[in-house]
Amino acid sequence: MSLSSLFTLLISGILINNVVLTKFLGMCPFMGVSTKLSSAVGMGVAVIFVIFGSSVLAWLLYYYVLDPLDIEYMELITFILLIAAFVQFVEMFIKKNSPALYKSLGIFLPLITTNCVVLFVAQDNITQGYNLIETIVNSIAVPAGFMLMLVIFATIRERLSGCDIPEAFKGNPIAFIVAGIMAVAFSAFAGLV
Amino acid sequence: MHFIYAILIAGALGAVNILLLRMNNATPVPEGCEDLTPDCSACGIRDCALREQYMSQKGERTE
Repeated sequence: MSLSSLFTLLISGILINNVVLTKFLGMCPFMGVSTKLSSAVGMGVAVIFVIFGSSVLAWLLYYYVLDPLDIEYMELITFILLIAAFVQFVEMFIKKNSPALYKSLGIFLPLITTNCVVLFVAQDNITQGYNLIETIVNSIAVPAGFMLMLVIFATIRERLSGCDIPEAFKGNPIAFIVAGIMAVAFSAFAGLV
Repeated sequence: MHFIYAILIAGALGAVNILLLRMNNATPVPEGCEDLTPDCSACGIRDCALREQYMSQKGERTE
């Protein structure tokens, strides 16, 4: 695996195959936590941390436990349990060791358990047959793309809050229209690599 | 024999989950973080952990 292919994987996860705009995953936090930039950044950082940790653990679990024992069909159940356990652990760790971080991220941590992007990345690393290095890169790239979208979307929504929008379009309707335009704009990256 | 391994692994992960959940609940919340309020616009997911708190904050019904 060369450095250039790892870089391609990174760019692909962030821009080209952006998980929000091309696969429509993680729409709940994308719509719910994008009204303020500060919340979007908090949620984005928490998602990166949880996806990275849980995906690497899921990869290790699959290749060192499930695959040797020939019980790959347990992938979905074990990954869900692993993600839930990891989120609990992270929340407890932050509570104990970093009150400041807990204040900014704590409220979002329980939400991440139900974020389908976390499970998607864990399973995608297996189905694509990535090795550990590729898994690490992909597990950083995909949530980084998610955070990028969240931050861009939050800044647009903050500006929209001060705009004169017709009553029928206020709130989620205008947000969906903006998300659609963003998806079209990001589709231009499709030919990048 | 495979299904026994499957049950054991699922059971072990379930037990780890319960243990971590209990430990997490037993860990005291840091000072100043006792009443963190959701800073979201309620996406509409009914079983979201924050939804009830968000709706009561807005003075609306939770369903």
